[in-house]
Amino acid sequence: MQRPLALAALLVGALTLSGLALGQTLRYFSWETNIADETAALIAEFEALNPGVTVDFEALPPDQYWPRMSAMAAANNLPDVFYMSSGFITEWHQNGLLANLQPYVDQLDLDDYFTGALSVARFPDPDVGNLHAVPINWVGPVLYYNATAFDEAGLAYPSAEWSWDEFLEAAKALTIDKTGNGRIDQYGYWVYGRYAQVEPWIYMNGGRLLNEARTRVEPNDAAIETLAFLSDLVNLHGVAPRPQEMEGIRQQDVFPLGIAAMWVDGSWNISNNRSIIGDQFTWDIALIPTGPSTTDRIGYTWPDMLAVGANSQHQDLAWAFVEFMTGPSRGASSFLGGTVPFYRPTAESEAWLERDQQPASKHVILELGQLPSRTSFTPNWSEWRGYAAAEGGGMNGELDQVFNGRKALDAAIASFVAYGNQVLSRSYPQP
Amino acid sequence: MRYSKLTPYLFILPMLIGLLVFRLIPIGASFGISFTSWNVFSPPRWIGLENYRTLLQSPVFWEVARNTVVFALVFVPLVMGLGLALALLVNQKLRGSTFFRGVFFMPYITSIVAVALAWKWILSTRFGLLNNALIEWFGVWSPPSWLGDPAYALFAVAFVLAWQSAGFQMLLFLAGLQNIDESLTEAAMIDGATRSQVFRHITLPLLSPITFFVLVISLIASSQTFEVTYALTGGGPQRASTTLAFYIYQNAFVHFQMGFASALAYMLLLFVGGLTLVNFLARRRWVHYG
Amino acid sequence: MAEPAVVIDPVRDAEQARRRKRAISALRSGVIYALLAVFSFLTLFPFLWMVITSFKLPGDVFRIPPTFTPTLLFSDTPFANYAEVLFKFDFLRYAGNSLFVASIAATGQLVTCSLAGFAFARMRFPLKNLLFGLLIFTLLIPIEVTIIPEFLLMVRLGWLDTYLPLIVPSLMVGAFGTFLLTEFFKTVPASLEEAATIDGASPFAIYRHIFLPLSTPALASLFVVAFITNWNELLRPVLYISDRNLRTLPLGLTTLQGQYESSWTLLMAGSIISILPMILVYIAAQKYIIRGFMSSGIK
Repeated sequence: MQRPLALAALLVGALTLSGLALGQTLRYFSWETNIADETAALIAEFEALNPGVTVDFEALPPDQYWPRMSAMAAANNLPDVFYMSSGFITEWHQNGLLANLQPYVDQLDLDDYFTGALSVARFPDPDVGNLHAVPINWVGPVLYYNATAFDEAGLAYPSAEWSWDEFLEAAKALTIDKTGNGRIDQYGYWVYGRYAQVEPWIYMNGGRLLNEARTRVEPNDAAIETLAFLSDLVNLHGVAPRPQEMEGIRQQDVFPLGIAAMWVDGSWNISNNRSIIGDQFTWDIALIPTGPSTTDRIGYTWPDMLAVGANSQHQDLAWAFVEFMTGPSRGASSFLGGTVPFYRPTAESEAWLERDQQPASKHVILELGQLPSRTSFTPNWSEWRGYAAAEGGGMNGELDQVFNGRKALDAAIASFVAYGNQVLSRSYPQP
Repeated sequence: MRYSKLTPYLFILPMLIGLLVFRLIPIGASFGISFTSWNVFSPPRWIGLENYRTLLQSPVFWEVARNTVVFALVFVPLVMGLGLALALLVNQKLRGSTFFRGVFFMPYITSIVAVALAWKWILSTRFGLLNNALIEWFGVWSPPSWLGDPAYALFAVAFVLAWQSAGFQMLLFLAGLQNIDESLTEAAMIDGATRSQVFRHITLPLLSPITFFVLVISLIASSQTFEVTYALTGGGPQRASTTLAFYIYQNAFVHFQMGFASALAYMLLLFVGGLTLVNFLARRRWVHYG
Repeated sequence: MAEPAVVIDPVRDAEQARRRKRAISALRSGVIYALLAVFSFLTLFPFLWMVITSFKLPGDVFRIPPTFTPTLLFSDTPFANYAEVLFKFDFLRYAGNSLFVASIAATGQLVTCSLAGFAFARMRFPLKNLLFGLLIFTLLIPIEVTIIPEFLLMVRLGWLDTYLPLIVPSLMVGAFGTFLLTEFFKTVPASLEEAATIDGASPFAIYRHIFLPLSTPALASLFVVAFITNWNELLRPVLYISDRNLRTLPLGLTTLQGQYESSWTLLMAGSIISILPMILVYIAAQKYIIRGFMSSGIK
């Protein structure tokens, strides 16, 4: 009599145990709304590899993503896996919301990944600390140039050896009044106070915006020299328009509409460029020119990352998903023009390099990734730097006043340094 | 009317419950939050009056507060004037009034993103319709940057918001105009009064309850500028078009300083609430009921 | 006696006076039509831009100077953007969801705001002014600072991922609506109320049979405003709705926006789809807002 009972008990026990393994739901929240199809396919693949697992996927664009994330954090209801940006990761880590992924990462072979992008996610020390998020892609500003305009002006294309002097020469030659009515129709360059347009020049010139400890805004001489150079482009040489002249046009359309022949901004603009330029002219990308204070070349790159919630009930499974999404399974097509996969072989594949499309030199972005990277991300970065909905103020706003000829550079620098330090002293009372 | 003591409360009961549960609880919480430092994703930290002290000493706050006052002074008369003008225009017994009524209401339901993009193009410094018209037809060599010049940006935002809301005010004024007994105006005209006399001495006074309502609503609307500012100028250049509502959003959802944002909201309440209260108290002077 | 030099012809004078009056009236109409036309152009311009953009190919959206040719209309698939948005992006479902939510919320507001407005306008009770003041006061607090506490409240109520947070608060407490109807109800002549009371009518009967019918313009306006406000709401659906099938239209529109790029042609098609029901609601409500001449009662 007892045998069948025991067997039944075993059976029930086994079913219950497997039932525990079965029926796990992973909540995944992302801001990449443009790759809904690719994401659905990837999730289906992951679910097939892990029977019994369901991934609940939701995506919102960044403007809605962060309010929702913060509300969920306030309610202690964070998703298991979610996107994390370089600009916010320090704050989120400081508040204990990100799981420590170092034990998992230790089991990965990191040769296949762009490890330079990892320092942003390592705490407390960027070089040897514990990893709290894994990059999924990275980006960096490059120099866009209008090759057709260069041909028409009889100029040689930007090379890796370009310095500020060559750049300025070219910009002058490319600033043209085509119709002879006294208005310039094509500028050599386009710049305003935006982080992705100003900082690449600063870092390539050996400048820095923060002190060593990254707790105070302290632009060094090379940084100030760079800002003066950029200001002169607009105010002295007239090779770039004042930002207020370009009001009413989206800033990312100035170059593809042919209003400026050169432009520095993030590599992600490749999508928009392709869409607007089409076949109208040939264009390509190059590295940022070196300046008078350049010692070693320094790039400006930063990753978007996947993090696991510190209070997630499924950390092992979440890690498996993170590894899957940042690894070889994700094809090049889900990295929209100019964002670089964290997984090196995908980035070096022909599918990503897209040599049949513009820009022909997409590999330049990979070269950018080889350089050491410097950034200015701190807690409350968007506030003092002037980013997104805060673009009207902070360092962005101050620089725009200089570019619009309303303020002297020294006064602007003093202003944003004071404001930046006021903001930073909230997180770091001591420098 | 005859009614028991309980009857009024029965009438307001649904609203009262909703008010207590869904409005006053969150509002009370936000008042408490204004005394904390809270980045939303971790627990709040009590700091007492620190937020209020900071904002009162902050030149940025005073700049933004001044922008808010100027904005209200420009926006409220503009939108009320436009609304009344449109209502009067479509209230005429002309053919096609119905069509025009619908047309003027359109901006109110059109998405602000599209509205802003279209206006950005019209107001664009180099390529905009307005400046090109100024250059071609009026010979202005260097027209201003309407959205990029600190002297104009705030007014541009006020204008676009007024343009978008005027249809709504028009609707309200129309409802009020429709409520005016035509026999009164007709009788006055027969007695020899001119149109403008009728308007000033009969229409306007009879319209005063609705005018009061529209005034209060417009005042409140002048403090809800986030959407239009974000879409049109992003608060720039250098905060020239940042009003309190936009500044509050920035602090709440960009900088995640919810405590500071709450304190700002209560300053906004003081300002708009104060003006509204003044309006309510002054009501007896110029508003005629029944 | 000599005959007068000028013949006074009363009939001809009257005729001339009538003609003059007609001419002035025609001139006046002309001026009014001109003004209406100018305003209309300014008003419709962005909407026209939206419609044209929804019929363009993606590369044609941002050109300098902007183009007004709807390039997609001349291709084989003129309605491609709309089809994609309605079916691939599920906007048909989202429209249905929005319709459901906004209709219930707006209708509910008519009931609760008119009941409350009647009490505020025509009854006396303790705390009346305080409560009314509180109501107006709630209109002055920006949603950004109350939304997180509200969210936490909804979490506690267990209402996440349902329509309840989108419907119940606005259904139950419409500060704007109550304010509007209070002001409107105040304009109803007291004589009507007194007559009905003498006839033995209860307050509720007076509300239902006298005040409600007289206030159709205000009620219709309120319905339109409440419907539109609820329809266009974005922040609450962003925070409260996770399930794809429950999305409302504004939330659906965000799926067309991206981190670096937005599909502008699809976004405009989706926006037009979002606007159409509001136009219909407005047209339907118009009949009630604009009545013809109406007797205001006892003279």
